[in-house]
Amino acid sequence: MSQMQSSSMRSPSIHSSLNPSSLNQNLPNLNDWLHQATRHLSKDSVAQVRAEIQEHYESARDTAINGGATADEADRSALLALGDAKTANCQYRNVMLTSGEAKLLRESQWESRAVCSRPWLKWLLLTMPAAALWASAALFLTGKSELARTLLVGGITLLLAFGAPFLPIYTPARARIFRRVKYALLLATFALVFGKNVLDWSWLLACSVWPLFWIEWTRTSIRRKLPEARWPKHLYL
Amino acid sequence: MNFKGTLPTLILEALAHEPCHGYRIAQQIKERSQGVLDFKEGTLYPALHKLENEGLVESYEGVEKGRPRRYYRITRSGHKVLSKDRAEWRQLSQAVTVILGEA
Repeated sequence: MSQMQSSSMRSPSIHSSLNPSSLNQNLPNLNDWLHQATRHLSKDSVAQVRAEIQEHYESARDTAINGGATADEADRSALLALGDAKTANCQYRNVMLTSGEAKLLRESQWESRAVCSRPWLKWLLLTMPAAALWASAALFLTGKSELARTLLVGGITLLLAFGAPFLPIYTPARARIFRRVKYALLLATFALVFGKNVLDWSWLLACSVWPLFWIEWTRTSIRRKLPEARWPKHLYL
Repeated sequence: MNFKGTLPTLILEALAHEPCHGYRIAQQIKERSQGVLDFKEGTLYPALHKLENEGLVESYEGVEKGRPRRYYRITRSGHKVLSKDRAEWRQLSQAVTVILGEA
């Protein structure tokens, strides 16, 4: 900053050096910085970062030029002031959606739309777990506990997978309660399936459950990055 | 000077008086600290986005000298957090001053 101010005394006709060709010559440097700083970010995030950094860069460049720097000096100082692109990238990835998170968000929205736009599918998804749970209860009463257990597990899984979007969960507090119940039910389901051997089958559980945890982890990250007002329904679940 | 962790508070302070765009916020922090707090400006926007996600600042489109700019303004909860941060900072700096003063 002080460098910029002191250089204001040196060259009075500095605007002559600001021409389109000098801007174009220096764009690859800013582009390199932006490319590095926006790695793995979603398309929308990349567009936002590019717009704000370019605005910033141009302001810094104009200030330097008004202060007496040449176009090259102004470009250099503006780029230098931005700092390390990798550090900026790490920080941007902590606060803005990455491409993986945007993909998950998009795919979940597609699923929700697909269900909501077909009323018969919505009712089928709601009645299937209910039917499985009723059948399970009936089979338990008639003593066919093996089949009843299978149906109970199926019913709980279907209920968690398909019934949740229809529950009135619109606040983070309700969402937290729902997620706790969901994971308690999942654990109970595994315990029900494997009984006393649940620890022996832990490798199978780990293999089958990790996609769920990966999705949950990504959703937690998205929740942290998106303001609550912009949460889609499935982000509460 | 390393002032890691205090950038969000400094941003809120810069916005406490009037809405600003990112470049102006960076300049304000540097000018008001008389050049002591010099930071890499590429890290300013992630901090601004974090504050925006937390609802402490909000942004809107504006125009300056015919150029579209994104302006940021502090929200009511941002003012509350800033007051709390100010009080905590005073307490901390007093404590450090007492300790360093004894040495």
